[in-house]
Amino acid sequence: MLDLLAQTGLNAVYAASYISLVAVGLVLIFGVMGVINFAHGELFMAGAYVVVAVYADMHLPFFIAVVVGLLFVGCLGLLMERALFRPLRDNPLGGLVASIGFLMILQALASMGFGVRMEFIPPVTQHVVWFTDSISIPLARVYVIVAAVLLLSALWYFLKRTRFGWALRASAQDPQAAELQGISIAQTAKIAMFIGAGLAGIAGALTAPLISVNPHMGHSVIVTAFIVIIVGGVGSLEGAIIASVVYAFVHTFVTTFYGGVIADITGLSLMLLVLIVKPTGLFGSADRA
Amino acid sequence: MLKYLIWPIAAIALLALPHGLSFSQQEILVFLTINVLVVSSYRLLTLTGEWSLAHVVIMGVGAYASALFTKEMGVYVPVSMLLGGLVAALIAVVLSFPLFRMKGFYFLIGSFAAGEIIRLLWKHFREPFGGAKGIKGIDPMPDFSIGIYDFDFFEPISYFYFAGFIVIICLWILWRIERSPVGLTFHAVHWQDKLAEASGVNLRAYRTLAFAVASGFAGVGGALLAHYIGTINPGSFDLDYMVFVLTWAIVGGTGTFYGPILGCVVLTILNEVVLREMGFEQLRPLIYGAILIASILFLPNGLESIVQKFNKRSAKQ
Amino acid sequence: MISKIMAAGLSRRTFLKSTAITAVGAALPGASLAAGEPIKIGFLAPLTGAVAAWGKPGLDGCMIWAERINAAGGIELPDGKHPVEFISYDNEYDPAKARTGATKLIREDGVSFIMMLGGDTWPGVQPVADKTGMLFSTLLPSDLSPDSTTLVAPAEVHPIYLVTGVDYLADTYPDAKTAVICAQDDALGLPSVATYLAAFEARGIEVLEEPLLFDPATTDFAPIVTRMLSSNPDIICLDTCYSDYVHPICEQLFQQGYAGKMISATADFYDQMIAKTSKEFMEGFIFQFPDFDDPALAGDNINFEDANGFYEEYAKRHPGQWGAVSWEYASIMELWKAAAEKAGSADPDAVLAAMKEGGTGNHAFGDAVWWGTELFGIDNALVGDWPVVVIEDGKAVIKGFKSIPEWYDQHGDLLIKHMQAYNQMYDQRS
Repeated sequence: MLDLLAQTGLNAVYAASYISLVAVGLVLIFGVMGVINFAHGELFMAGAYVVVAVYADMHLPFFIAVVVGLLFVGCLGLLMERALFRPLRDNPLGGLVASIGFLMILQALASMGFGVRMEFIPPVTQHVVWFTDSISIPLARVYVIVAAVLLLSALWYFLKRTRFGWALRASAQDPQAAELQGISIAQTAKIAMFIGAGLAGIAGALTAPLISVNPHMGHSVIVTAFIVIIVGGVGSLEGAIIASVVYAFVHTFVTTFYGGVIADITGLSLMLLVLIVKPTGLFGSADRA
Repeated sequence: MLKYLIWPIAAIALLALPHGLSFSQQEILVFLTINVLVVSSYRLLTLTGEWSLAHVVIMGVGAYASALFTKEMGVYVPVSMLLGGLVAALIAVVLSFPLFRMKGFYFLIGSFAAGEIIRLLWKHFREPFGGAKGIKGIDPMPDFSIGIYDFDFFEPISYFYFAGFIVIICLWILWRIERSPVGLTFHAVHWQDKLAEASGVNLRAYRTLAFAVASGFAGVGGALLAHYIGTINPGSFDLDYMVFVLTWAIVGGTGTFYGPILGCVVLTILNEVVLREMGFEQLRPLIYGAILIASILFLPNGLESIVQKFNKRSAKQ
Repeated sequence: MISKIMAAGLSRRTFLKSTAITAVGAALPGASLAAGEPIKIGFLAPLTGAVAAWGKPGLDGCMIWAERINAAGGIELPDGKHPVEFISYDNEYDPAKARTGATKLIREDGVSFIMMLGGDTWPGVQPVADKTGMLFSTLLPSDLSPDSTTLVAPAEVHPIYLVTGVDYLADTYPDAKTAVICAQDDALGLPSVATYLAAFEARGIEVLEEPLLFDPATTDFAPIVTRMLSSNPDIICLDTCYSDYVHPICEQLFQQGYAGKMISATADFYDQMIAKTSKEFMEGFIFQFPDFDDPALAGDNINFEDANGFYEEYAKRHPGQWGAVSWEYASIMELWKAAAEKAGSADPDAVLAAMKEGGTGNHAFGDAVWWGTELFGIDNALVGDWPVVVIEDGKAVIKGFKSIPEWYDQHGDLLIKHMQAYNQMYDQRS
C-alpha cells in the first residue's frame, strides 16, 4: 500500500510539472493581454507536432526539437499578438473569437499535414529510475519534471529580478499606469505572448514522446489549464503553480483509487468549491477579473 | 403602411421558404431554427454582462428532461417540451447560487465547470441518462392535421413550421422581456451596476432572473432538437457546440436583438451549405476559422453593424 | 415508426416514390440505371473532428477499392457493367448532421447504399432509414435492433469476436488465472467490457476488480497503470481501447515493470508499440486484427479480393496510416458488390435479400452466418470465424480462425448476463 502511494505520488509530480508549464503560459497571456487564449491547447499541440517533424521525421536530436518547439510556438504567439490580439486590444470578446478561429486553423493544418491518426515518436530514452522494486519513474518523465522546474525558476527570476520582468508585471497590474511610467505596452505584449506561447509549446514538445499526439490533443489540456488557473486565481503565477500541484495530486490520487471519471468530477467540483469560498481563486484579486 | 405589411410578408416568406430548398437544406433549416432560439436566449443572459459557457449544457438539460418525461411517464410531447424548459430554468436557479458569486472571467470558467459536471453526471449515471450512449428512440412529435395542412413530423417542412411557430412565440416573449422595465434593469445591471445597486436594485436577483429565463428558453430549444432527431447524448452538448453558439453571438453582435440571429444564420449557411457545396472536406474547419478571424477583425461590432449603417443611411435620405 | 406508415396505407417503397415525384429532380435510388451509368455509394462518417480517425482512413481505403474495381470494368449487372462512385458526407460524429447527410445522399444524390461508422450517429439516421428503406451498414453491431431491418453489420462484429482471443489465451496459457480490465467510458468500451467479462468467466479466469473506466479525454495513463498493477494480475486486458490509449498504456506497463500477458481488441501500428517498449515485452500480445499481407489471408476461405495487393497499395499511398478501419469499409463493399451482382440490381431491397439469402454470407474472414437474434433482436450481423492474432518476433501472426457462433452456443447465457449488467442489450438500449 505504501508502495502504491509513493508511486502515485511520483505520477502526480510529473502531471503537476507539465500542467504548470501550460497554465503559467495561459496566466501570463491573460495577465498582460487581458484575453482568454482558447487556442492555448493547440499551441501545446503545435509544440508536439514540431517534435514529430524535427525529431521523428528529420531524425535530429530530441533536444534540438524541443528548442525548435519553444521557438516555433513562441513565434506563433508573436503572430497571434500581431495579427489578432493587437488589433483587438479593446475587445476581449473579439480576442476570444479570434483565438477560437486560430484554434480551428491549427487543428485543420495538423490534420491535413500529418493525417488524422496519432503520430509515432520514437522513445527518447527507455531508461527507468527504480527506487525500490515497485517504485519507479521513467527517465523521460524526469526530464519533463527537471525542465519544468528550470523553466519556471528562470521565469520567476526574469519576472522578479529584471527590468523586463518589472515592466511585464507592471503592465499586467495596471496598463495605463505602466504606460505613464514609460513602459511600452506593445513591447511587453510581445514578450508575454512569446513566453506564454513558448511555454505551451515546450510543454507539448517535452511530453510528445510520452502521450498520444493527434490533432485534437489540445482539448483536454486546455480544460485542465482553465481549471488550474481559476483555482489559483487568474493573473497569479504563483497561484497557477500551486494550483497545478494541488490539482495534479488530487486528480492522480482519485484516478488511482476511485477511477478516472470520478477524478474529473472531483477536479471540477474542487474548483467550484474554491470559487464558492473565494470567488477570485486562491491567489487572485478582484480587479483583474 | 409598410409597417403593417412587413409582418404578413415575412410570415408568407417563412411559410414559402422551405419549399425553395433541397431536402438536406430543409434539414439544416430545422436545426438553424432551433439554434436561432438558443442564440437569442443566450443574448438575454449577456445583457446582464455575464458570458456563460454552460448555456448549451443547460439546453441539454431541457432535452434530457423532455425526453425522459415522454419516455418514462408518457407525457404528451408538446407538454414535455414545456416541462423541459421549466426544468432547465430550475437547474439554472440552483446553479446561480455558486455561479453568481463570481464575475467576468471567473463566471465564464465557473459556468464551464458547472456544465462539465452535469455532462459527466449524464455519462456516469447509465440509469436514467443512458451513459455515454445517451437516450435514443425519443418519441417524435405526434402527427396531426389542421384541415388545410397535414403535419408529418418526420418531414423537415412540417417540423420547421412547428418549431418555427414555437421559436417565434419564444422570440416574441424574449423581445417583450427586453423592452419591459425588467429588461431595462438587465441593461442597468450590466453598465451601471454600482449605480443600480445604490438605487435599490437587487443585482443578484436580476442576474438570476436573466439566467433562469435564458436557460428556460434554451431548454425549450433542446427539447425541440431532441424530439426531432430522436436521440441525444452527452457529446451532443459539448464545448464544441458551445463555442459555435458563442461565435454566432459575437460575430453577429450582441448590441441588438437581431445581431446574434444574423450571426447564427450567416455562419451556419456558410459552414453547412456553402463550404460543403464547394467540396471542402478537411479544409472546412480551416476556412471557417479564417472567416471567424476576418469577421471579428473587419467587423468588430458584429454583422449587425452593417445593418445599422444601412439603416442610418436610408433614414438620412 | 414502420407500423405507422403501414397503417397509412403506404409501403416504404411507395413512400419513396411519392416523395420522389414531389421533389424536382430527386432520383429514386437504384431505379433503372442507364447502361454504364455509375452506381453511387454513400459514405457517411466523421471526416473531421475528434472521431475522424474512424472515418477518413476508411474513405481512403474505399477510394482504392473503387479504382481497382472500376479498372476491372465495375459492377456487373444484367444491363452491363457499372463503375462505382463514392459520395462522402462529413457527419462530424453528430446525429443531427448525420440525419442531414443521409437525407442528402438518399434524396439528392440518389445513392444505392450508405456505409456508416454508426455509434452516436446511427440513432439520428434511423428514422430516415425506416422511412426510405435505404440499405445501411455500420461498423458497430451494437447499433442493430429489430426496429431497423435495413441496417446490417457485415464487417466488424464488435465486440463478440473478442471471445476468440480469450479462448486462445486460456488454451495457450492455462496458468494465467487472474485478469484486470481497463476501458474508456464510451459506446465502444462498455459492450466490450461486458464481452470480456463473459469470456473470462467462461474460461474460469477471475477478474480481480471492477473494470477501470477512464474518460476518453485522458492523456496521462500512469495512474491507471499503477492501479492495474497494484492487484498483481496475470493478464491485463486493454478492452477496445483506441490506439491513442493502447500505445501509452503499453508503454506505461513496460516502464512500470509489468511482465504478464496482454490482450486487446486492436494493436494498430504495433511496430510503433514495439519501438516504444521492446520486442520481448510485446512478444505474445494477443489481439484481433491481422495485417493484410499475412499469408493466411491469401487462403481460399478469405473473401477479400487480393487482400495483400490492397494492403500494399494502401501502404504506398498513405504510409503509416494502415489500421482496421482502412479495410473494413472496403470489405463491406466486397460483400455488397457480390450481393448486387447476384441480385442483378443495385436496388436496396434486392441487394439486402441477395445478401441474406440462405442465411449465410461471405465475410472477409470466411463464410459466415447472419446471426444475432438473441443479442440484437435481429439477425443482421454477419458472424463466423474471426482470426486470433499474436505478436511473434515483432510481427503480427494469425494463430488461427475461431468460430464465434460455436462459443456463443456454449456460453451465450454468460454474455447476455454481463451485457444486461452494463445496460447493453438491445431492449435496454432504447
